[in-house]
Amino acid sequence: MEFVIEVEDLRVILGGAVILNGISLRIAKGESYVIIGESGTGKSVLVKCILGLIKPTSGTIKINGRDLNDLTQKEMLVTLLRCGVLFQGGALFDSMNVIDNVTFGLVYGYGKPVKEAYKVAVEKLESVGLSPKIAKVFPAELSGGMRKRVALARAIATNPDIIFFDEPTSGLDPITSAVISELIVQCTKGMGISALSITHDMKSLRHISDVIGLLHQGKKIWEGTKEEIDSTDNPYVRQFVAGATVGPFTHATHAKTR
Amino acid sequence: MFLVKIGEIFIAFLVSIGNVAVFFVKTMLAGIIPPYYYKQIARQAVQIGYFSLPIVGLTALFTGMAMTLQCYTGFSEFTAETAIPSVVMIAITRELGPVLTALMVTGRLGASMTAEIGTMKVTEQIDALKTLAVNSYKYLVFPRLLASVTLLPLLVFINDIVGILGGYLVGVYYLDFNSANYVHNTFSAMTSWDILSGMLKGSVFGFIICLMGCYSGYLSKEGAEGVGRATINSVVSSSILILLLDCILTFILF
Ligand SMILES: Nc1ncnc2c1ncn2[C@@H]1O[C@H](COP(=O)(O)OP(=O)(O)OP(=O)(O)O)[C@@H](O)[C@H]1O
Ligand SMILES: [Mg+2]
Repeated sequence: MEFVIEVEDLRVILGGAVILNGISLRIAKGESYVIIGESGTGKSVLVKCILGLIKPTSGTIKINGRDLNDLTQKEMLVTLLRCGVLFQGGALFDSMNVIDNVTFGLVYGYGKPVKEAYKVAVEKLESVGLSPKIAKVFPAELSGGMRKRVALARAIATNPDIIFFDEPTSGLDPITSAVISELIVQCTKGMGISALSITHDMKSLRHISDVIGLLHQGKKIWEGTKEEIDSTDNPYVRQFVAGATVGPFTHATHAKTR
Repeated sequence: MFLVKIGEIFIAFLVSIGNVAVFFVKTMLAGIIPPYYYKQIARQAVQIGYFSLPIVGLTALFTGMAMTLQCYTGFSEFTAETAIPSVVMIAITRELGPVLTALMVTGRLGASMTAEIGTMKVTEQIDALKTLAVNSYKYLVFPRLLASVTLLPLLVFINDIVGILGGYLVGVYYLDFNSANYVHNTFSAMTSWDILSGMLKGSVFGFIICLMGCYSGYLSKEGAEGVGRATINSVVSSSILILLLDCILTFILF
């Protein structure tokens, strides 16, 4: 099988605290991998490591079979151009209006003419359920959910091969969540795009995932398909999916991660 | 104990100089290769050159006027009033012009550069730039650096003109100097080096303001408080470096 992302025994120490403690995972081409886990277990840090934004303490990360450490700066840029990223907080450029945000990667990364990029951007805005009327509005004037959707539109504007979505449906109403989940499914199914998402939304999880990994205290403690998530005996998974207060996850274990 | 402490501070100082130097080299390496972000450069040029004009002009006008008055108080005791125009001119072009312009610009632009870049850092916008395959040094720092280094000398030049004009206004309309004599005394003493050396200082100060402003922004820690602290660092370190370098440059240049 052809793997797009391979992470091997990744360890990350930030500010003296062990955040990731030996994580390995592999994502096949066209597969949608979803990471779940408590708040603060290092899900976002894991994604940032794969994107080369945080340097891991040890371990290897390969994208399309190439070790990130072996890539030249230029090759890294080319790799990143093939990735679409949605940050947890959106990370919209607040000095630019919506359309400039969405076209940014096309214009600056790919060097596309502005007019052409605009056309693509309007299309992408519509696909996340936003009207092109907001094109000239600045991010600060948008609602939280709209901001998230603009960030989504920006992430998919370049038609990436790999998408990284950090909580794509958080802060959205149930209907918009469903639309976004469907969009992710459409991106991956049939188009050969691989996806690595993080979510706390169990409904969306069942919709978008092929494979699910559960992170706990910097380790991957379970991995399985979305069918397995409902049939497994793993007490962690059962408690997490049910959102129960009793089980192996306690506030005590939670505090230890810090 | 005391010596150890001093040693530690000195080493920390050397390390930060090293880090700033690395930051500068990264910016230049990223900035000089095409494509160039003309729009960004133009935008920064307008920010730095055009929008700084009011405060620079006002500062110059008031200091020029005050200088002339102060000189008069001192010089009239020795009946040396004719030296006032040239002394005011030299003080402004060589010293007050570049230093005050730089300090005003530090407060206005150095601080805003740090706050802007710092906010971008803590809200992951700089990470986002990177994932959109844009080098943040090239996109954020280089245009600011280019605009600061080239436009600060121009601001200093404008400061010189307005400052001398301020001196003239006080001299002629308040202290009753003869207008033609005042103008003659100002320009007969003026050399092009007076003006150029001040502008050269301005260029160096522009470099410092921008470098410290952007560097502090990149270092800024999470949250509004982190950005606030970075801004303080930027303004304090720029101001001290400007005054220090002014002293050193004055020794070298004259
Ligand atoms: N740049 C950093 N420097 C130091 N510590 C960091 C940094 N980034 C994250 N951390 C720490 O790493 C831990 C994991 O953070 P991360 O953002 O990955 O959590 P998460 O799993 O995404 O949580 P959530 O579900 O709430 O988004 C946290 O304890 C956080 O404080
Ligand atoms: Mg997170």
